[in-house]
Amino acid sequence: MTTKQTFIAALALFLVIAVTVVANARTLVDVKVFPPDIDLTTQRDRQSVVVQAVFDDGVTQDVTMQANYSFADPKLVKLDGYTIHPVADGQTQLKVEYAGRAVMLPVKVKDATKDRPISFKLDVMPVFMKAGCNAGSCHGAARGKDGFMLSLFGYDPDGDYNRIVRELAGRRINLSLPEQSLLLEKGVGKVNHTGGELFKEGGELYNETLRWIKAGAPRDANDIAKPVGIDVTPTRIVLEGENSTQRLTVRARYSDGTTRDVSHLAAYITSNATSADIDEAGVITAHQRGEAFVMARFDTFTVGAQVIVIPKGLKYDWPNPPANNYIDELAYAKLKKLRITPSDLCDDQTFMRRAYIDIAGTLPTREEFDRFMNDKSPDKRTKLVDELLDRKEFAEIWVMKFAELLQIRSDGNRRMSYKATLLYYNWLQERIANNVPMNQIVQELLGSTGGTFTNPATNYYQVETQTLKVAENVAQVFMGMRIQCAQCHNHPFDRWTMDDYYSFAAFFSQVGRKRAEDPREQVIYNRGGGEVNHPIGNRVMAPKFLGGDAPETRGKDRRQILAQWLASPENPFFARNLSNIVWAHFFGQGIIEPVDDVRVSNPPSNPELLDELAKRFTDYNYDFKKLVRDICTSRTYQLATRPNPSNELDSRNFAKQSIRRMRAEVLLDAISQATGTKNKFRGLPLGARAVQIADGNVSTYFLTTFGRATRETVCSCEVVMEPNLSQALHLLNGPTVNAKITQGGVVAKLLAEKNTPQQIIETLYVRTLGRTPTQQETEKLAPLTKETDPAKLKENLEDLFWALMNSKEFIFNH
Amino acid sequence: MTKMNKDGFCNGQDHWHGFGLPGRPAPRGASRRDFLYAGFAGGLGLTLGGLLKHESAQAAQKHYETKEGQAKSVIHIFLPGGCAHQETWDPKPYAPIEYRGPLGTVKTNVDGQVFSQNLRRTATIADKLCVIRSMTHGEAAHERGTHNMFTGYRPSPAISFPSYGSVVSHEFGPRKSMPQYVCIPNQPNEYAGSGYLSSMYGPFSLGSDPASGGFKVRDLTLPGGISVERFEKRRSILATVDEHFRKLEKSDNLDAMDAFYQRAYAMISSKHAREAFNVAAEPEAMKNRYGKNQAGMRMLMARRLVEAGVRMVTMTYGGWDMHQRIRDSINRQVPSFDQAFHALITDLDQRGLLKSTLVMVSSEFGRTPKINKDDGRDHWPKVFSVVLAGGGIKGGAFYGTSDATASEPDLNPVTVQDLAQTVYNRMGIVGDKELMAPGDRPMEIVDGGKPISDVLA
Repeated sequence: MTTKQTFIAALALFLVIAVTVVANARTLVDVKVFPPDIDLTTQRDRQSVVVQAVFDDGVTQDVTMQANYSFADPKLVKLDGYTIHPVADGQTQLKVEYAGRAVMLPVKVKDATKDRPISFKLDVMPVFMKAGCNAGSCHGAARGKDGFMLSLFGYDPDGDYNRIVRELAGRRINLSLPEQSLLLEKGVGKVNHTGGELFKEGGELYNETLRWIKAGAPRDANDIAKPVGIDVTPTRIVLEGENSTQRLTVRARYSDGTTRDVSHLAAYITSNATSADIDEAGVITAHQRGEAFVMARFDTFTVGAQVIVIPKGLKYDWPNPPANNYIDELAYAKLKKLRITPSDLCDDQTFMRRAYIDIAGTLPTREEFDRFMNDKSPDKRTKLVDELLDRKEFAEIWVMKFAELLQIRSDGNRRMSYKATLLYYNWLQERIANNVPMNQIVQELLGSTGGTFTNPATNYYQVETQTLKVAENVAQVFMGMRIQCAQCHNHPFDRWTMDDYYSFAAFFSQVGRKRAEDPREQVIYNRGGGEVNHPIGNRVMAPKFLGGDAPETRGKDRRQILAQWLASPENPFFARNLSNIVWAHFFGQGIIEPVDDVRVSNPPSNPELLDELAKRFTDYNYDFKKLVRDICTSRTYQLATRPNPSNELDSRNFAKQSIRRMRAEVLLDAISQATGTKNKFRGLPLGARAVQIADGNVSTYFLTTFGRATRETVCSCEVVMEPNLSQALHLLNGPTVNAKITQGGVVAKLLAEKNTPQQIIETLYVRTLGRTPTQQETEKLAPLTKETDPAKLKENLEDLFWALMNSKEFIFNH
Repeated sequence: MTKMNKDGFCNGQDHWHGFGLPGRPAPRGASRRDFLYAGFAGGLGLTLGGLLKHESAQAAQKHYETKEGQAKSVIHIFLPGGCAHQETWDPKPYAPIEYRGPLGTVKTNVDGQVFSQNLRRTATIADKLCVIRSMTHGEAAHERGTHNMFTGYRPSPAISFPSYGSVVSHEFGPRKSMPQYVCIPNQPNEYAGSGYLSSMYGPFSLGSDPASGGFKVRDLTLPGGISVERFEKRRSILATVDEHFRKLEKSDNLDAMDAFYQRAYAMISSKHAREAFNVAAEPEAMKNRYGKNQAGMRMLMARRLVEAGVRMVTMTYGGWDMHQRIRDSINRQVPSFDQAFHALITDLDQRGLLKSTLVMVSSEFGRTPKINKDDGRDHWPKVFSVVLAGGGIKGGAFYGTSDATASEPDLNPVTVQDLAQTVYNRMGIVGDKELMAPGDRPMEIVDGGKPISDVLA
């Protein structure tokens, strides 16, 4: 090696090192301290703090241990590690310093020398949750466990008190020898306990319970403060490198305005311990690259934080793809955090077919294909989206989708006559076709009164007549939530309590139904009376919005009040849910998936994106055409399905498009369109499209086999997209493809028009796959065209036509 | 993909949820596995850690090797609607008339045991049957009871469980080009599907009733005018057309579709497979022996399919929701069942297939002890009967009893889980084995219960 070469090599090495160093060098952009203020009331109160450093590349670091703490008035408080205890009443400030930055926090101390009396609900109930005593597998089971029952996750504290103190008096609580109470001895595993040792003798959980028993196991006063919410911080965590950690702090807010550090009482769970595990103390530890949602549960509240784990020193270059609109910007922001590179933009042919199927439910015709491919304008994709949005087929797709959500289905005159079904469908169709804003449609629907023939919107209350089920359906369809669990107990994985459930159901307790003159028609009216009672204690539940206020309903139709709130910006779930449903249609999955299972423990993969979509949708006055336009013109929608090494295993962050089987109706319409044939469905003229079928009860072998929704339930799982053996057999041998090829006579016509076999092949490709054959395909298929016998030639070309419609490229939208 | 129970019902609250495992200590802190049990359906589809995550979750799964057991096949005859145990397998001739009902009894060839009067042919082969008269569960609604009897699980609002047939398909590969799991005539209810397992394990439905005139399984044979040669040509063109896409794209649902195409080819090209569905090829005498009616032709079809290699055949017969005039309905439906069932068991026996074929007759529940005001009986899940035969089950066994009025189990109650454990055990599947539900949530094939050792041959 010459000197020069050595020099160059050294230089190269130096450059590599330099680049690596640059890649790892990051700038601190923010220091955050949680919680935002310190509020200590009574001598037992305390508050731990967490300090988080945020760097310019999105990585965060727990610097609680490295930070310096000082108080303007150090006499008021005592700092023990990173926990602040009260000493004397007054107000001061906490200064947290890290890497030259300082953050000031207000500190308030009240009743520093007073003890707070022990409380069953505030101090003992949390022990059962933290230790797992009231979990469904243990004493929280409906019939309890081993003779002792607690309410599941504490939905009935008064009942729990009675079971502990009053049931089998003296067995569970020993007031004279509190340490020998069975409750404690079982908990620490001193006596035989199926659940083993759940807390340590002398530990905080033990001591609090003991203190309560020593105090005489008192029942709480009726006006005891109730938790009204919890805050879990920090909420955005990006950990770099294995074993890096981040501690959470959980603060509960109470109805009397006080707060309490419940970090030690919260139960912690993670969605993915392989990437981010969390221990009993709320410390997250990073492991494998990936993403997790960690949650803290306290009382009836579950709140989570998003954690992203990336490997240390990962070389990652953001390719800086252009952003067409806000959707791309927000999708990219998440991908950058994950260090994922999006796939390339798909080509024009792929885009065209995808947009046709998704927006209009049809395939492009040969003419449309040629026109688009020959269009050289740079904004031709946007133009195409606009064109498709104005077609009536666009509205028809959404009429079909909403007809599924509204369960438009006749049931042989049991409740829904065919006539009512048709009227209901036509009502919906007329609304959507005229682009009536979604909030208005939903308000009309939920607040409707009158005959099911004269005001078809009232059929909503005819499809389902049970009060509780109506409430569940409304929550699932219009808010995306499954509240069914809360019928019997507080929702184990969401915020909904039984109170929420029954107060929401109370909006539907006064729906009256009576026969109209025509026996097939019902009249839906407001009875003005009728209540929903809570199964525990039989309380009458006043109507209350899910996650909202209790409105004044006296003398009014409760449903109208609900409808006004539900389909309005007041309801944070409405726009989000509809945006998510629309999004899912174009990506094969929602930002929350499944779309009708919104809950704390099933968070959106990209909350910022979903929030922005919801905001825009609201700003657009609930015109979802505009939302669809945003989605389809985004680069994110137009990405190729082909993965790259960085997004290969990702399925939730829209770094590539997904491959989706065409749904039953669209596939049948596509086959009919490609073959130039017509179908006849009950109640529709010859040549109508399957998408237009009004009644969920009308089907064909093809549609049933390919999973058309029966509309028997509101579940998004009604539409079955999974393949099965009967589908394969039917496409191969069944009459749909085979007979339609002959019936439509497409090949015969093309031959008669004197097209060359080569031209015909091209046309068949375009008709089905929306692309021209590749060079390689043309060569491989050439022998088919060599046939001189015209009948044989036609047969060959029809066989190709058959093969094209059996190809996965045809069956799937990609 | 997460599949939810369509009904999303939640009538009881002792379906499982919690942070801990059943019968194990509740968690300290939160281990991933516990959490998975807690019903978190996968929220964040995970990124690069996904694969590893999956592997480690598998390591935590309880695993048992599945080896073919004595029962190579199962025929599940389901009587939808809730078959009255009193008017079939468990008559109470000494009960007061309002309990006894309108029908008499017939002596079986097992000492001291009687069936209801219409089962007179079946009574002559009682020595080949195992009659469980103490089946019990708590679900008095059709769909919930049906769920129990098809999945071995109580309905959950959070999870859709796979049916017996889908678990069997999952555990065993296809035999002799036949689909593993076939439904006659159609998938009888939503619980007979693949549940949380991939749709690859769903049933193949005949699509029409073998008893109907001109019965034919759809799409098994090449369409008119398409010769085998031409089909082969089409397949080769299809391979050419598919190649481009295959090179570009990869996805689970493409693979599943591919798998079904491969299976379809195997069936179309196998004369054996196609013939298995051709029940018309049975000799006239055989059809008459089974009975040329719904019960007879479906059971005959089931026998053909099992003989051809299908592992699980599920068929339904009749409608048994007899709230009114139970005598007429029973007299209308039981005789043809009796003839067909007798023919099925003796036919299987004569062909040497009974040893390797487990036949199960079940219903979602039994019917109320007392005749109601409409001369019918209503839903009664507290006690009812299930009949097993062959496939490593003891013959002539009468297991468990109901009390004097057929109201409650008296001796040896059998739970839904016990029954499932028994059937799986005979097939060589360990019920305690865990399969992976969405969200990397391992689920036992059967949660609890024990095989009924007294009835295992």
